[in-house]
Amino acid sequence: MTVAARARTGAPSAFAACLAILGRDLRAVARSRSQLYSSLLFPLMLLGVLGNGVSHGLNPSSEHIRNGDYESFLVPGLIVMTALFSSTFSSASYYQDRDTGLLRVMLASPHSPRVILLGKALGGVVIGSLQAMALLAIASLVPGIDLEWQFEVVPGVLLALAAVLLLAVFLNGFAQIMALRIPTMSGFHLVMNLVMFPLLFVSGAFFPLADLPLWLKLLATANPLSYAVDLLHIAIYAPDDGHFGLLIDVLVLGALAPATFLLGIGRRVNLP
Amino acid sequence: MPIKEAPARTTLAVEALDLTFAYDGHTALDGLSISILTGSLCGLLGPNGSGKSTLLSVLAGLRTPDSGSVAVLGQAPSPALRSRAGILFQETCLDPLMTVRETLFLHGRLYGMPASDIRRRAGEILEAVGLAERARSFVHTLSGGMKRRLELARALLPQPELLLLDEPTTGLDPDSEQALWSHLTAINRQGVTVVLSTNEVGEADRYCDTIAFIHGGRLAAEGSPAELKAGLKHDAVWAEGSFSDAVIEQIRAWPDVGRLVWAPPVLHATVDSAAAFAPRLFQAAGDHISTIRLREATLKDAYFEIVGATLDTAETAV
Repeated sequence: MTVAARARTGAPSAFAACLAILGRDLRAVARSRSQLYSSLLFPLMLLGVLGNGVSHGLNPSSEHIRNGDYESFLVPGLIVMTALFSSTFSSASYYQDRDTGLLRVMLASPHSPRVILLGKALGGVVIGSLQAMALLAIASLVPGIDLEWQFEVVPGVLLALAAVLLLAVFLNGFAQIMALRIPTMSGFHLVMNLVMFPLLFVSGAFFPLADLPLWLKLLATANPLSYAVDLLHIAIYAPDDGHFGLLIDVLVLGALAPATFLLGIGRRVNLP
Repeated sequence: MPIKEAPARTTLAVEALDLTFAYDGHTALDGLSISILTGSLCGLLGPNGSGKSTLLSVLAGLRTPDSGSVAVLGQAPSPALRSRAGILFQETCLDPLMTVRETLFLHGRLYGMPASDIRRRAGEILEAVGLAERARSFVHTLSGGMKRRLELARALLPQPELLLLDEPTTGLDPDSEQALWSHLTAINRQGVTVVLSTNEVGEADRYCDTIAFIHGGRLAAEGSPAELKAGLKHDAVWAEGSFSDAVIEQIRAWPDVGRLVWAPPVLHATVDSAAAFAPRLFQAAGDHISTIRLREATLKDAYFEIVGATLDTAETAV
């Protein structure tokens, strides 16, 4: 272990560093069974209880809820909800890493803080996307769930994947911005719930936007989550071009997601 | 006080000039200048709040000084420089839910090491620090000493030329502390420059070849332990009490008394023989002594004599 015998480690690659952080975060989630199960069980429970309850108890008559089948209508919204919760949990790992000191060690590595934040955010994107797509896979196998797949299954899945990825990129960027501004994990969860739950409720996840009063429609139009829900509706549920339209959904999410993500990883990190 | 002459070492691992750094209204570095030779095992001694940790952060490039210049391994501190330096923080910085091997693997990847090199080096280092049997253990199952050794192994993984260690023995039991010092001296013998902050005066005296006294964000003195203790008499006396100026002057005049510092309520003096000095002190001021401690003089006494403050407190003597 002499200095003369020092191995050439080469210039540390930012890509390899991001992959290493991503791998570590994936392993942490895989080990956290409670997080893994609850992230899928909660939306599935909503699907079963709320979906069936509304379908049979309230007999929804909206033309945007096909055949009054609210359970199937809920699937795109619950995919968005899963990505939302998952992104919030993933970004909370910033606090865990800060408190254990691991973040400090990573920031003291030969990389700029942006590389470390990028690795953490990518972890959140991958974990959120995997969980959201896992929910789609499980939901599509549930008897009674009737998905339209207007573009056929494979293109529909690819479009849904694109929607989920864009959404996860947006959410993780936003959560990263919040995590770097809010000093405590409890405060972070509080603020995220305060911001994200209203956004989720005004996104068309639980009721068709077309049936809402004007003021709610306006709020929904200003809500980024609405475009993800709409894109997922187009990909797997709706037989038409959705509320905003495929092009508008892709353009809005395609612009907002990278912008928010870059803002999130571009923020200054103070050494803990 | 000059830097210890070391003919084999001619280059500087660290050269800092007139560093200042302040945060939250507190001046952590106040014109600190220090030079550390390549291959040294240098101990930074000073009380809490004296600026040791800040200096290490600046050397690691984790903080940018407000003014002054610094070169580490011939370069200005930067993220790239950290690929040549290992850092150990004062607090434990480990994810308890990762295994020992995963901890090293993540670190190696952050330092750009190929997976095969990480596996080989991890095996060697874990063997060296006595953790080979625990490679698959989760960090939360390790003892405090093991965690510290794992952190040392992590810092050593990319084969750094310089190790910056912030109080590496804090919280360790005596056996673990002894083992850690053994590892550090072994690493240093292999050519790695080690700069560490510590409050362990005895260990620093025994193992470090260079000591820097830091006080109030400045370098108070630097040299080998022998050089720093050169002016000391054999024993040290610490007496607390309310001594009059006349008594202080009387004691100062005794021929067996070396340097005497009166920092009320502490009287500190180095003397030829504490056993001979103590009865005379009681004779002169017995009624005014509340506590007295007698022992062989150490670097702690040298610090007090040079700086005029104890290592236990950042307060300066009046």
